[in-house]
Amino acid sequence: MSNSGRRTVAAPVVLLLAVVLGVAATFALDLFLLWWAALLIGVTLAFGLVAALAPITPDERRIGADGTKEEGTPLHNVLVLPMSFILAVAGGLVSAWVLDLQLIEPVAAALGALVGSALAFVLFHRLAAMMALSFAAVLSAGVIAIAVTAAVLYFSGIAPFQTFGRMAEFGTRPDSMVQIINSSITYYLAAVAVAIGFKMKLFNIGVDGQYRLAALLAAAVGGYLVLPPVISQIVIIATAIVVGGVWAGIAGYLKVARGVSEVISTIMLNAIATGITAYLLSTDRLAVEISTNNIGTPPMPESAWVPGIPAGFLGSQREIYGLVFLAAAVGVLYWMMLNRTRFGFELRATGQSQTAAEASGVNVKKMVFLSMLFSGMIAGLVGLPQLLGHSHYYALDFPAGIGFIGIAIALLGRNHPVGIVFAALLWAFLDQAAGILPFDGIPQEIAVIAQATIVLTVVVVYEVVHRWGRRYQQQQIGKQLGRTVESSGEAQ
Amino acid sequence: MSSTPSGDEALEPFAVELHGITKRFPGVVANHDIDITVAPGTVHAIVGENGAGKSTLMKTLYGMHKPDEGQILVRGQEVRFNSPSDAIRHGIGMVHQHFMLADNLTVLENVVLGAERKHGIGRNARSRIQELSAQYGLGVDPDRLMEELGVGDRQRVEILKVLYRGAETIILDEPTAVLVPQEVDELFDNLRELKREGLTVIFISHKLDEVLSVADEITVIRRGTTVATADPRATTARELATLMVGGELPVPELRESTVTDHVVLSMTGVTVRSPEDRPVVDDVSLDIRQGEIVGIAGVEGNGQSELIEAIMGMRRIASGTITLEGRDITDWATLRIREAGVGYIPEDRHRHGVLLESPLWENRILGHQTRRPSVRGSWINRAGARADSERIVSEYDVRTPNIDVIADALSGGNQQKFIIGREMSGDPRFLVAAHPTRGVDVGAQSAIWEQLREARAAGLAVLLISADLDELIGMSDTLHVILRGRLVAEADPTSVTPEQLGSAMTGAGLDGADAHTTEGGSGAEGTNRNESEGGA
Repeated sequence: MSNSGRRTVAAPVVLLLAVVLGVAATFALDLFLLWWAALLIGVTLAFGLVAALAPITPDERRIGADGTKEEGTPLHNVLVLPMSFILAVAGGLVSAWVLDLQLIEPVAAALGALVGSALAFVLFHRLAAMMALSFAAVLSAGVIAIAVTAAVLYFSGIAPFQTFGRMAEFGTRPDSMVQIINSSITYYLAAVAVAIGFKMKLFNIGVDGQYRLAALLAAAVGGYLVLPPVISQIVIIATAIVVGGVWAGIAGYLKVARGVSEVISTIMLNAIATGITAYLLSTDRLAVEISTNNIGTPPMPESAWVPGIPAGFLGSQREIYGLVFLAAAVGVLYWMMLNRTRFGFELRATGQSQTAAEASGVNVKKMVFLSMLFSGMIAGLVGLPQLLGHSHYYALDFPAGIGFIGIAIALLGRNHPVGIVFAALLWAFLDQAAGILPFDGIPQEIAVIAQATIVLTVVVVYEVVHRWGRRYQQQQIGKQLGRTVESSGEAQ
Repeated sequence: MSSTPSGDEALEPFAVELHGITKRFPGVVANHDIDITVAPGTVHAIVGENGAGKSTLMKTLYGMHKPDEGQILVRGQEVRFNSPSDAIRHGIGMVHQHFMLADNLTVLENVVLGAERKHGIGRNARSRIQELSAQYGLGVDPDRLMEELGVGDRQRVEILKVLYRGAETIILDEPTAVLVPQEVDELFDNLRELKREGLTVIFISHKLDEVLSVADEITVIRRGTTVATADPRATTARELATLMVGGELPVPELRESTVTDHVVLSMTGVTVRSPEDRPVVDDVSLDIRQGEIVGIAGVEGNGQSELIEAIMGMRRIASGTITLEGRDITDWATLRIREAGVGYIPEDRHRHGVLLESPLWENRILGHQTRRPSVRGSWINRAGARADSERIVSEYDVRTPNIDVIADALSGGNQQKFIIGREMSGDPRFLVAAHPTRGVDVGAQSAIWEQLREARAAGLAVLLISADLDELIGMSDTLHVILRGRLVAEADPTSVTPEQLGSAMTGAGLDGADAHTTEGGSGAEGTNRNESEGGA
C-alpha cells in the first residue's frame, strides 16, 4: 500500500516516541501548571505525534473489527479520531488521579501521561468504528442524562452545578469509594445474572427472589453449621448457588415444559420467595433475636467469614469485601462461557435466532432451561459479599431489591462483562454520592432521577446509534463491494 | 403508443412516470437513475433478474419507502408517497408476491378489511364486489371462505381488493411465481380484461416468455437501473435475456449421470401430521442414491417444508422410517443427524440458515458446533473456524471484504454461497437443498448449480426442492411431484416440460388446471411467506 517505497517508522518506535514525548511534556509542564492541565497537554502532544506519523507507520491491520476499511471515511474522521483522543485523555487523567492517592503528584501525573500516551497510540490505530460509536453513544447519553437532571434541579430551584460538585466531592472521599466498590460488587453479580438471561432473550425478573432466598438459606447454613474455615465458606457459597439455581430452575422448567412465560413465573416466584423468607425468618423457625427489634439467622462463627481487603491504598480505614474476587471470577467465567465455549455460542445463537439455532441442531429447550438455571446460580451469589463480608447474618434489614437494580445495570452495561463493571460502579457512585444531599437540604431522590435517566438514555441512544452505525457500515461494505463487482463485471 | 385503446387517450398524461429514481440500501444494489413511463390502459412489464431491483422499485412506487432522489408523477402530477395509503389514494394498488389474506375470513371480509369506509361491510360492499367481479371477469364469489380457495382464486381476490380500493394502476409483483402454467394463462386473461376496461397494469417478472405474451411494453432493469425499453412484438426472449443479464442466461443442466446403486437416504411410508392431525406429509417413500439429485416439484405449501423438517429431525414423524446409510435416523435429534453427515440448505436462510448479526466466521460454526475445525471439545476453536471461513469465502466466491463482517451486510446471493460452502464442509453424505438459488443473482445462481454438480459428481446424494421448474428439470436425475403431501407422480427430467410438470403439480390434466391444490397445505404456506430476496 502507501508504505511501499517510502520511508517508514516501525510501530513500536512510534509508540516509544509518543510515550516519551507525552511523559516528558507532562513532567516539564507540571512544574508550572496544575497536574491535570499538564497531563492534558502532554497526552495531546503525544496524540498529535501519533497522528502526524500515521502515514508512515506501517500498520496493515488498520481495518475495523467489523471489516470495513475505515481510514479516511467520514465516520472515521469525525467520530473515531475524536473518540480515541477523548478516551486517551480520559484514561490518562483517571489513572493519574488513582495513582495520586498513593504517589506524589509529579510521579502520578507522569505515569498518567504514560498511560494516556500509550492509549493514544493504541486507540488511534486500533479503535474500530463500532466501538467508537458505542463509546460516543454512552458519552452522549451521559451528557443528556446530566442535562435532564440539571434541568430538574434548576426547575426545583436548586443550583445544579453546585449540587453535582457536592456529589462528586462526597463520592470521591476514601470511605465513599470503598462503599461504592462494595455496593458495585453486589450489583455486578446481580447484573451478570440478569445478563445471562438477556443474552438468550430471557427476562429473569426473579433475581431478586432468587438471591434473597439463597442468602437466607446460606446464612442459616452458616449460622447453624459450624465447620472449619474454607470448607465452611465453600458450603455456604454452594448452598447459595444451589438455592438460586433451583429457584430459577423452576421458572426454566415451567417455560420449557409448560410454555409459561418466564416473566410471569419469575415475578410470581419473587412473591413466593418473599413469603417463604418471611415464614422462615421467625423465632419459631430459623431466626433468633439479633437485637431488641431485629431478628435474623444466628450470626455465623468467625471461621465462616470472608476477610475483607484493607482499603488503605484508597486512604480509608474500611475494608473491601473479600468476595470481590468471586465477582471478578464470575465476570471472567461469564466472558469465557459466552465467547469461548460451545455452550456460549449456542446460547448466543439461540438468543439471536431461535429458528436458526433449531435448524442447526441446538436443543433450544435445553438451552432455555440451562441458561435460566445458570442465571439463578449467579443470582444466588448476590447476597454473599454482604453476608460473608459484613453482616454475617440474614436479618429483617438485609438489603432487598438488588435484583431489580441488576436489571438496570445489565441494560446499562449492554450485557457485556466489562460494560457491567462500569455500569455497576456508576450506579453505586450515584447511590453513595446522593447521601450528602440531605445535609444540604436537597432531596436525595435526585440520584434516582439521574439513574433512571441514564438507563433510559443509554438504552435509547445506544440502540439508535448502533442501528445507524450498522447501516452506515453496510453502506460502506456495499460501496466497496460495488466497486469490485463493477470492475470484475467489466473485466469479463 | 399504439396499444392505447383509442386516439383520444394518446393525449392523456402517462399513468405513471418515474424519473431518475435512486434508492440506496445497505450492502446491496438498489436502484439508480430509473426512468420509466407507463402509458394508461396498457400492461407494462418490468423485467430483470432476481435482485436486479424490481421489487425495490415497486415498493418505492407503492410508497413503502421513499426514494433518495428522483420524482414520481401520477397522471402528470408530481406526488410524494409517505405510505401505501398515499399511493392508494392516488389510484395505485399493489398485489404482493405473497398474498396478504386471512384464511379464516370470507372473500368479502378480506376485501373490505381496512377499507370499511368505502362501502361499509354489508350489502353495499357485497354488491360492489359482485359488480367489480363481473366487470373484470374475475369470477369471485364474495361469500366463499378464503381457506377453500386455490392459489389462482386467491390472487384474483388480491386483485379485487386493489380494485375495490379504487386503483387505476395495479402493480403485480411476480404474480406468476406461485402459479402453475395453466393458472398463469388465466391470470393473463384477467389482465387483458383489466386493460380492456382502461386500467393500467405494471407487471413484474423475470420470466421472459410470459412477459412477451402479455405485455404491451417492456422495461428491462439490470443492476438497479433501467437499461432498455422494448416492444414485445419486435423483440425475442433471447434479446431480452441478453439485456437482462448483459450476457447469456445460464441454464441449469447436468452432464453425464453419476447415479450409483448405493442408497444413501431412504424413506419408507413417512407421514407427518399437522397440529390439527391432518397429514401434511402423507406416506412418502423415496430412495436417494449416491451421486443422485432427486428433485421434488410442487406448488409451495404442499408438504415440502414439512418433509425437509422431518428429514432434519426438526419435526416429529407420525409414522414411517428414515434411514441414512442403513442406520435408522427416524428418532434422531437434529444435531445427531447433522453430525452423521447431512447438510442442510434451508429454504428461508434468514430464519434457518444464518445469524444475521453475527460475523461470518461465527456463522461458519452454526450447525457444525460439535465438529472440527470449528470447535475443540466444548471450546470454540476461533483460529480453526476463521481459517475455514476464509477457505469457504475463496472457494465459493463469497463477495465480502473479510470474514468479520456480519452476515446481514452481505447480499442474499453471497449469504447463500456462504451457507452452501458451510453445508458442504465436513464431507456430507447427503444434502437437503431447499430453493438453493432463490433470491440469488444470476452469477451466484450458476455458481451454486456448478457446486451442486461437482458435489454430485463426488458422490453426494441431494434432495432438491425448488419452485423454479427449469432448475428442477435441469438439475434433477429423478423428479417427483408432491401434491397435498403425497408423491403423486414421477417424471423423467430429460423429457418432461414445465407445462406437464405444472399440470401434475395441480393434480389436474393438461387442461382445466383450476387449482384446488393448497387445500392440504394452506396452513403451511402461511409459515413460508417470508420474503427471502436478500433485502434487494
